[in-house]
Amino acid sequence: MSRYAVNSLLYRLKKERAYRERFLADPAGLVADLDLTDDERAAFVARDMRRINALGGYLHLVMSVPGLAVHVTHAERD
Amino acid sequence: MGRIVFAAAMSHVLDPDYYQDACGLSGRRKVEACMTEIRAMGARMLAQRPDALIVVADDHLNAFSFNAVPALCVRIGRHVDRMVQEEAEAFDRALEGMPARYGLHEDLANRILEDGMTAGFDLALSWEAPIDHAFLSPVMTLHGQAPVTPLVPIWVNCFVAPQPTPARCFAFGRHLASVVAAGPWNVGIIATGGLSHFPQLLLPRVGESDTAFDRRLLGWLEKGEHAPLQSLTTGELDKTGEHEFLNWMALIGAVTPAPADVRYFGELGRINLAAVEWRLA
Repeated sequence: MSRYAVNSLLYRLKKERAYRERFLADPAGLVADLDLTDDERAAFVARDMRRINALGGYLHLVMSVPGLAVHVTHAERD
Repeated sequence: MGRIVFAAAMSHVLDPDYYQDACGLSGRRKVEACMTEIRAMGARMLAQRPDALIVVADDHLNAFSFNAVPALCVRIGRHVDRMVQEEAEAFDRALEGMPARYGLHEDLANRILEDGMTAGFDLALSWEAPIDHAFLSPVMTLHGQAPVTPLVPIWVNCFVAPQPTPARCFAFGRHLASVVAAGPWNVGIIATGGLSHFPQLLLPRVGESDTAFDRRLLGWLEKGEHAPLQSLTTGELDKTGEHEFLNWMALIGAVTPAPADVRYFGELGRINLAAVEWRLA
């Protein structure tokens, strides 16, 4: 697991619009040279935030990267 | 001689739209009920005319990149800006519509920082870090339309392991109390976040909260029993979704052994919302 590489990538995707747009246009190209494992690279290419969280991506990032965030909803409670 | 004139802790996503989206109308109703109690707490705070408001909260990987993750960080300087997030999602949207800039209480912040270093707390400092919903959602709810009290934002690293221990945060709170006592100011202090939510910070566990653990914590707070709190571990806080209770530990250290009144506690499934106010001598 590449804790730093996964999370610094998530951080840049959240904070830098131009970087995020590059990723959305060509995710495989953008992650090709990053220090990620094959699993991590595949999860980013698939934009699979649940898998990215399971691989060590911080929850608050996977829930807040614009356009890629996971939204979890819950049943009504009294 | 200075005094802590107000102390409270509260949940910090105070956004009815967010909870309606996530939890339906009952989510909206519960956070609105919690906010009503926080507004009443704010009226009591403002009646004390505090010179400064210390806000102990956490960073949601917004203010600090992976360039550095401080365990405890004091925001110094004259102003602080709110975080701006383009195309904000989820909890980041709670900031929209809030003022862009807030005044700081520069002298108190400097005393906390400089005296802290002398006292053995190797504190980080920041002149530039912006503040997110963890600070501003409670601050704006407490103040309503009133001018915002000069702030002293303090970050605790609640999420990026290894975090400071609960005992260390409590000891830092004792330091805050000694700085206030030595100064000339009347000071309010709030801690934000929680209660139980997002155990282990894992998506499959979003929707779980440990109500029994919350009730144990609140029982200790109501009785002013602070010794058991100092024995908690960061591992326990992670497992139970109480990461942000580290912020509360700093406040508890600042006001110990004061007992607390629970003004609001509500179970949402996603999170247990809470608002707690301490009875100060």
